[in-house]
Amino acid sequence: MTMSLSRAAQRRLLLWALLLPMAVVNFVTFILPMLRLGMISFIEARPGGVLTDVFTFGNYIDFFRDPFSYKLIWNSLRMSLIVTLGTLVAAYPIALFLYRVNPVWRNILFVITISPLLVSAVVRTYGWMVLLGNKGLINGLLMSAGLIDGPIRLMNNELGVYIGLIEIMIPYMALALIAGFGRLDPVYEEAAAMLGANAFTRFYRIIVPLTMPGILLGCLLVFVLSVSSFITPKLLGGGRVFLLATEVYDQAIVRLEWTQAASTSVIVLLIFGLAMMLYTRIARRYE
Amino acid sequence: MTPSALREQSPAAVGSDPAYLSLTDVRKIYPNGYRAVDSLNIDVPEGQMLGLLGPSGCGKTTTLRMIAGLIEISSGHIRVAGRELAQEPPHKRDMGLVFQNYALFPHMTVAENVAFGLQMRGIPFREARTRVEEALEMVRLPGYGSRKPKELSGGQQQRVALARALVIRPRILLLDEPLSNLDAKLRDEMRVEIREIQQRLKITTVFVTHDQVEALTMCDLVGVMHKGRLAQLGTPEDIYERPNSLFVSEFVGRTNKVRAEVVDLNRIRIGSEVFSADTGGRREGTVWATVRPHRIALSPDRDRALMSRQTNAVRGRVLRVTYIGDIVQYDLDIGGAEFKVEHHTTSQGARYSGGQTLMCEWAPADMLVYGEET
Repeated sequence: MTMSLSRAAQRRLLLWALLLPMAVVNFVTFILPMLRLGMISFIEARPGGVLTDVFTFGNYIDFFRDPFSYKLIWNSLRMSLIVTLGTLVAAYPIALFLYRVNPVWRNILFVITISPLLVSAVVRTYGWMVLLGNKGLINGLLMSAGLIDGPIRLMNNELGVYIGLIEIMIPYMALALIAGFGRLDPVYEEAAAMLGANAFTRFYRIIVPLTMPGILLGCLLVFVLSVSSFITPKLLGGGRVFLLATEVYDQAIVRLEWTQAASTSVIVLLIFGLAMMLYTRIARRYE
Repeated sequence: MTPSALREQSPAAVGSDPAYLSLTDVRKIYPNGYRAVDSLNIDVPEGQMLGLLGPSGCGKTTTLRMIAGLIEISSGHIRVAGRELAQEPPHKRDMGLVFQNYALFPHMTVAENVAFGLQMRGIPFREARTRVEEALEMVRLPGYGSRKPKELSGGQQQRVALARALVIRPRILLLDEPLSNLDAKLRDEMRVEIREIQQRLKITTVFVTHDQVEALTMCDLVGVMHKGRLAQLGTPEDIYERPNSLFVSEFVGRTNKVRAEVVDLNRIRIGSEVFSADTGGRREGTVWATVRPHRIALSPDRDRALMSRQTNAVRGRVLRVTYIGDIVQYDLDIGGAEFKVEHHTTSQGARYSGGQTLMCEWAPADMLVYGEET
């Protein structure tokens, strides 16, 4: 005798069956490692980095006792916010233009905008080093033009990190902005103009509020990506820029302090969680 | 808002000059050579409502947007109270525009929407609040200020859009097919309401529509547009009774259009029958003759000699009878040409039936003669 199911039940079963493969992959490659990371952050390590079975809050206590940790948090937040704002300012006109340009051009220009994603961020960072170095293209041109006497420091400092990260983030920001531009209809600008609003007023009273969902989404995305990026800050910062993400890298790869690396990672995750909460609270107002 | 309050700060009348809004030789030619609007000349006296009527693509919306400043004119003049506005950007033209889809700002409340234009004019907060309330009362939406546009029905959004356009006491009110997104019943209501408000405020208005009923019932002046040009400008009665072209007579209201031969200055021949009609000075040639379906009187067949000499009277055979409810339509064969005749119904329903031969009469003045179509 075979079990008979109603059609609706069969459909529901099918939906779950279709979700299953991705759920398994996600569990094995994402959830499990995250749980493992969380566990390691509460484990004591013997000198030399060997993990024990001893439960401890020591890793977190060490983190919060060290004044350097607060500098890391501050640096990470400050730099990520500056990168987010810089990317927003750079990408907003691009996104607005793409949204309004005639459809024939839109697709081509859209592909061009996101084409930097085809090249890995590491390669692009090396590209920036060629441009920004003391003997790089920019300094070379400025000096041969006689505009400056000696090279100006464009990398191995925070400025270099800003330049590199903002360039890397622009495609992500542009994508998120355009995705959130759904409510922007030129007729609202026309209506505002008829009511006496000049171009500047139309921009900040109509265009900006209507595109706020895109702005918030893009800022969240870029902020999270900036906080977690470490290769670009390491290479363009020349070892002089210290962030949470670079610290995790040093702890895990250079100093082999896995338990500390795990606890620092959990701190970074908490920052993500806070950013997410802030986003949902603000975004709800622009529903 | 009381009408006088709205009028108070409106620009003063321009004395005896009858043209408050004046379009002179206005053209819109696109780079590809397309003439969206060509040689447009319209004068609207102060306080009157002009309806721009025409099929889609005739240039009526382009004209409205040029008056608003949302489309640049290629050449010509747009003057309000004698002042040239053609080079002014829209935000300096001081006109109120009600968009077809209302274009209420979705991120603002109803009150914020209505107050927007007042803020742009630097009206102090307290005065602005009072004026917003008055404007919402005028469109019969008091107390709706704190709602968001998406919480309102189409008709309510329409009223808010009207309040938003009028609260700034604009020099000109522009309406871009404001009724086309409403259902039939609401449309009738809003038609009366808009006209009432317009007449109360005596605001010079341009109303774009493709609906002849709206144009004829609401407007003091109707401009029929066709292929970017003004086909005819006149009172609703002019347009309906004395259309100056075949296009206008067919576009405004229903009409019978038949081929005819000119017999002499006052007579034309349709098929085997001769009719009295003013041929407009023509002595010969082939023309189009029109007569409105409801201007043809029908009666049971009787002796022609008994009938008035003043009318066109001819026998016709009923081909089809279509009962529509308020009217009944007879398709008649008159002298070999097909005519439609419409009569109001009575409780008896259709009075005549297919195959019957009837006497058909109409006044010569109801038969209009036109040359070849352009």
